[in-house]
Amino acid sequence: MRHPRSGPGAGKRRGRGPRIPATTLRKQQAALANVDQITGAKIPKSFVFSRGKLPSTLRHLQHDLRKVMLPYTALNLKEKKRNNLKDFVNVAGPLGVTHFLILSSPKSLPHLRFANSPQGPTFTFQIEEYALAADIANSQKRPRCPPGIFKNSPLVVLSGFSGLGNPFESLVEYFQHMVPAVDPSTVKLAECQRILLLKFDKEKEVIDFRHYSIKLQPVGVSRRIRKLMQNNQVPDLRDLKDVSDYVTKAGYGSESEVDDEAATVSLPSDVDKLNQASRKSAVRLQEIGPRITMRLVKVEAGLCSGDVLYPWPVEKEAGGKKGNVTEEEIEGQEETDDGLEDESEDEMEE
Amino acid sequence: MAAAPQAVSAPPSAAAPNPVKRKTRPKGKGSKNKAKKKLARSDQDDSVHRRRNKPSAKFLKLLRKRTRDYNSDDDEEEDGQQQGHPPSPRSRRRDDDDDGGDEEEEALSQSDQEEDEEEDGVSTSAVTRFEQGCRAFRVAFLKIMAKKLPDDPLGPILSAHKKLVAAKLAEDAEEHKPKREARKEKRVAAEKGHVIPLYHLDSKEKELIKVATKGVVRLFNAVSKAQKPRKDLNPSRTKDAKVLAKERKNTFLAELEMPSHQDKRSQAPSNSSKRTGKDEDEPAWAPLRDTYMLGSKLKDWDKMKDSAAVDERAEVPLGESSDEE
Repeated sequence: MRHPRSGPGAGKRRGRGPRIPATTLRKQQAALANVDQITGAKIPKSFVFSRGKLPSTLRHLQHDLRKVMLPYTALNLKEKKRNNLKDFVNVAGPLGVTHFLILSSPKSLPHLRFANSPQGPTFTFQIEEYALAADIANSQKRPRCPPGIFKNSPLVVLSGFSGLGNPFESLVEYFQHMVPAVDPSTVKLAECQRILLLKFDKEKEVIDFRHYSIKLQPVGVSRRIRKLMQNNQVPDLRDLKDVSDYVTKAGYGSESEVDDEAATVSLPSDVDKLNQASRKSAVRLQEIGPRITMRLVKVEAGLCSGDVLYPWPVEKEAGGKKGNVTEEEIEGQEETDDGLEDESEDEMEE
Repeated sequence: MAAAPQAVSAPPSAAAPNPVKRKTRPKGKGSKNKAKKKLARSDQDDSVHRRRNKPSAKFLKLLRKRTRDYNSDDDEEEDGQQQGHPPSPRSRRRDDDDDGGDEEEEALSQSDQEEDEEEDGVSTSAVTRFEQGCRAFRVAFLKIMAKKLPDDPLGPILSAHKKLVAAKLAEDAEEHKPKREARKEKRVAAEKGHVIPLYHLDSKEKELIKVATKGVVRLFNAVSKAQKPRKDLNPSRTKDAKVLAKERKNTFLAELEMPSHQDKRSQAPSNSSKRTGKDEDEPAWAPLRDTYMLGSKLKDWDKMKDSAAVDERAEVPLGESSDEE
């Protein structure tokens, strides 16, 4: 006997209620994909692409940057020569993409632009030095890049940005918004596997961009036992008289294991079978991914358009009206900046 | 003869687009060559009556004698005197293609001049041409033998051709040089800024890793603090749930505050929430105090100064902010 509801396509509902038409279902799913399940905030997604023809090393850099921004980016984004910025903006809307990372290579040094999609500010950086992920892997003795670490977005760590005026304020906010938020009460430590470090060097006025992978190592466990647990291989006990010889043999400590207290954490829960709850573990970082040293050269109010905010336009006599207009805008900007700074001052004192 | 060259030239032009008909072209060329050769030969044979019979036994004996006594050094001195001698056997046995026998015949003519009497009416033009050809050949041959050849793994075979080829290659290389330079420059320009790290860990990188590690440690500590199950309170009981919620909120505020004294980066709503939170003085109930369960070590965390400050972002969950409002 046939159940009246069991037709094709209704079989999977399994008692969840009346059947939702397919289009609505798809729309719901699409909307859900943009929203973080836990915090309810919108997940920031990004596009990494290039304007103009890039030489091959820069193309590798672009691919490395895409891997950094995984999983909320398009790894195999295909762009054609005739696509211009407007096309990307139009595509970004329905997909929920909010951030653009644009690589370009003018005559001098390559430029990297960070922008917010519809009408956000654009920060243009000049890349003074860069190293590809492959170069870094070649220079390491034991490169480590397990493929599962790209399943979650990286954590962003900003440093050295204190006490700088605009535009670095908005830059800091931008970087924080670039990755989805981390909720300390619900996040699983096993999911935090990557770190994106952005450090501002005050003397040189450049930003160092580094990408690391996190490894937790239990503290207080001798090297042999740790290796035994990791490798799951039966050790060679031929020359030993007793198992205790194996376990209690004093192993030499490697130089990198001389970590201070600062690196140890006590875990709230089991991360994996080695690092267990309420035990001390050391945090070890290993560099993966590209290494970039960049300098801020321009900030624009619009998406690669609009008023130029950062290098304060020098007042020229021939500027005339235009000079005045920009001056006013700068003043307006500075006022709001001062307002923000005052607030922060309050917090600092408290 | 005129028709033949024309016929030959027509097919090549038609054959160029059509590769099938190419076979006819070499034939045409071959026939042209043959025609040429015929012309050449007929020209020379006009004056000289050639005897194509087999030479007599006496003559053969003579030849053998000459070969035995042949010495090329003698030849050079007596070259100038050769002109007037039209030895008949030479003219008789003329062979255009056989240059190897020429020198021998010259020698023969030297040593044996008695053969003249056999044929008188020999024309001198053919003979002198022959003699000159012989001399030229011999000069060329001596030059070749005297030349010192470079050590070539392939041997002296076709050395002149190889020289030609080498010259051509040098020319090509010259042409390509400016192109190569341009390409090299382009490649260098493309690599601008690309720095391949020599040492993986130098001091600067170690500093950066330390900074990043500090950040991670801070975050993990916050997470562990937030996630550690409270032994005394049971989350299923509502009263305790409220306490738990309040506790979490406070720790969140504490976490948000902690890095902000070095770098600030809070959002507007959390700003306001923080501010309102800070407005109360130390509340009476213990869990609401800021230093609840933080311990003495972390009491003055806001006075701690780090040289490289680390900053993280912790998002206040929606539930918390709504609670406050």
